[in-house]
Amino acid sequence: MTSSALVRFGTATFCLLFFAYLFGPLIIMVVTAFNSSSFPRIVPWDCFTTDWFGKLAADAKLVHGLGNSLFIGAGVVLVATPVGLAAALALSEVGPRLRGMLYTVFISPILMPGIVIGISTLLFWGKIGGGLGFGFDSVFFNGFFLTILGQVCFISAYSMLVFMARIQRFDHTLMEAALDMGATPGQAFVKILLPFLRPAIFSSAVLAFLASLENYNTTVFSIVAESTFTTELASKVRLGIDPSISAVAVVIIATTLFGAIVHEAWQRRANALAQGGAAAQRILGNPAAAFLRHPATVGAILAAVVGVAIYEGSHYDSSACQQDILDAKRREQQRLFDEQRLPAAPAPESSGSAPAPSTPYGGVFAPGGLGGTPAAPAPAPAPSTPYGGVFAPGGLGGGTKPNP
Amino acid sequence: MRLIQDIKPLFARYGTGVGLFVTIAVSLWVFVLIVLPQIAMVEISFGHNLPPAERGGPKDVYTLSNYAYFLFGNDGSFNALHVMIMVKTVLASVIVTIFDVVLCYPIAFVLAHGARPAAARLMVIGLIVPYWVNEVLRAFAFRIIFGATGLVNGLGQALGFWDEPIDFIREDVALYAGLTYAYILLMIFPIYNAIEALDRNQIEAARDMGASWWRIHWRVVIPMAKPGIASGCTMVFMLTTGALAAPQILGGPSNLWFTQLVYQWFNEASNWPRGSAYAVILVAVCILFTFLMMRVFKVKIGEIGR
Repeated sequence: MTSSALVRFGTATFCLLFFAYLFGPLIIMVVTAFNSSSFPRIVPWDCFTTDWFGKLAADAKLVHGLGNSLFIGAGVVLVATPVGLAAALALSEVGPRLRGMLYTVFISPILMPGIVIGISTLLFWGKIGGGLGFGFDSVFFNGFFLTILGQVCFISAYSMLVFMARIQRFDHTLMEAALDMGATPGQAFVKILLPFLRPAIFSSAVLAFLASLENYNTTVFSIVAESTFTTELASKVRLGIDPSISAVAVVIIATTLFGAIVHEAWQRRANALAQGGAAAQRILGNPAAAFLRHPATVGAILAAVVGVAIYEGSHYDSSACQQDILDAKRREQQRLFDEQRLPAAPAPESSGSAPAPSTPYGGVFAPGGLGGTPAAPAPAPAPSTPYGGVFAPGGLGGGTKPNP
Repeated sequence: MRLIQDIKPLFARYGTGVGLFVTIAVSLWVFVLIVLPQIAMVEISFGHNLPPAERGGPKDVYTLSNYAYFLFGNDGSFNALHVMIMVKTVLASVIVTIFDVVLCYPIAFVLAHGARPAAARLMVIGLIVPYWVNEVLRAFAFRIIFGATGLVNGLGQALGFWDEPIDFIREDVALYAGLTYAYILLMIFPIYNAIEALDRNQIEAARDMGASWWRIHWRVVIPMAKPGIASGCTMVFMLTTGALAAPQILGGPSNLWFTQLVYQWFNEASNWPRGSAYAVILVAVCILFTFLMMRVFKVKIGEIGR
């Protein structure tokens, strides 16, 4: 049927466009990290370079911020995971009336604007510290302490959602069986429920760590005098754009892809082994395949690829190419400069509209001998090279904002 | 007493130790991290901005001046600048939310009912991976694309669509694109969860009865998706109004987002009480607007977030 074919085609096109919107910006950003142009862009392409990564590694502020972020992330994971677990357990057991109310309260930090959480944390602990007579160097005004608490406030809710999804699938008869066999409720919890929740503990920890690392809205208020990776990044972006920020993106995307691929390999293997039978046999039957598909092998191969890329990248020298570009720009600048100095008489003649004396410099700079030569340069406007426009005085107007 | 009745099953099932751990952890979270800080913020928003020496002195009294400033400014006339920023923030968030619904509904439907399992799994990975990248970097990516010498301007000029570079940053195009991008996941998954429960036979039946594809969606799928759409819209709207990174990086120089006003009161004017008042106003407007919209579209609060 043509109409159903049309719908099908439309759906496919829409999906393609959607994923282009999702990945396009990231791909463009990654590519700009390798362009030597000091504004991150793809066109015009100057030179392939790896210098931006070197500049990034030398950025002491960003590296210091990363250290702080890792510390805060670890703290958030350690606090938010138990709190999320407790909240999920509470929701799974309490009576229905309290359950609805608790759920609303638990979910509210996710909906609350991040800056409000940051502000309220800062003010609340400042008030307590001030009320107890502590100074500004006490823990109540410490950026790490405040940021961990502020982030735990809403990241616990993410953790809770992860645990809730897992607890819903729990078979409560297992607990009852353990109790019938004489286990205390506490033992049953530790030996039955916690092992069942292990994957959820793992994913909630990863989620909490990533959420902590990338948080900006709450952190920017609660961090006070310190800085984290994300706040440093944001101030870098706001101060001035340069491709070393794209290089950060390359590093982050590479790291996450690395993690995702290894995790996928691990998950597939675990699923196949858990299924048993033919699915497991397909992996274990062929030793070569079993070795190649092992997550450790996959990780080692990826690590080797990354290592080679870093080695090659750190030894790649793009200065020759950059020098060429610089020379080309200089020549272009010189050419434009000359054109302005010597707007010879033929220029107005070729345009055919204005008489020779009306050009501003015409009479001053062009002595009679030069004026009439047909070999004079072409009219000044319309430079043919991409950089031409930038160095002409009028061409700068394109870059500035059209102020009314 | 009824509270004890409500939490009793917890102790009965997991024992006293676990029960105590759950009760203490949840109470600390709810009171120390969520409720009390909010109360402190509201209290400070009613105070004067005093130097530390005068705190607790005769001038330290409650006042409505910080809220009055939002409406009337310093001189008692209408503070059109700040009120317009609030209105603009809410309107822009509504537009971003609508963009997200339009973009995400078809994708959620394809994910739930159109794609084969392998393709659907790939799509889910494709949806999640971009969100592992830092939100500041995502905004930066849009800055590269829409900058004066960015890709869009480069292409447009090369292909001859326009001659002068268009300032997409000032026109807020970059901001809308970036904000729409930022909260796609929060829209797709609630809609997906709602539609997934739909029995495919209902779609088949509607098709057999001769319904056209848009009629199937309008009469069968969308009613089913409504709680998901409501829940997604609430989340996207609240988070868009509360966004700070994207407006700071992508916003034009002359028009601010309301969160940026709050940020200025804290970091540039060092007027914490007024900044708190603005934060309270932000939350209040968000919540009131959300309830109003739920009323208008006849959605119950219980349907949200499930």
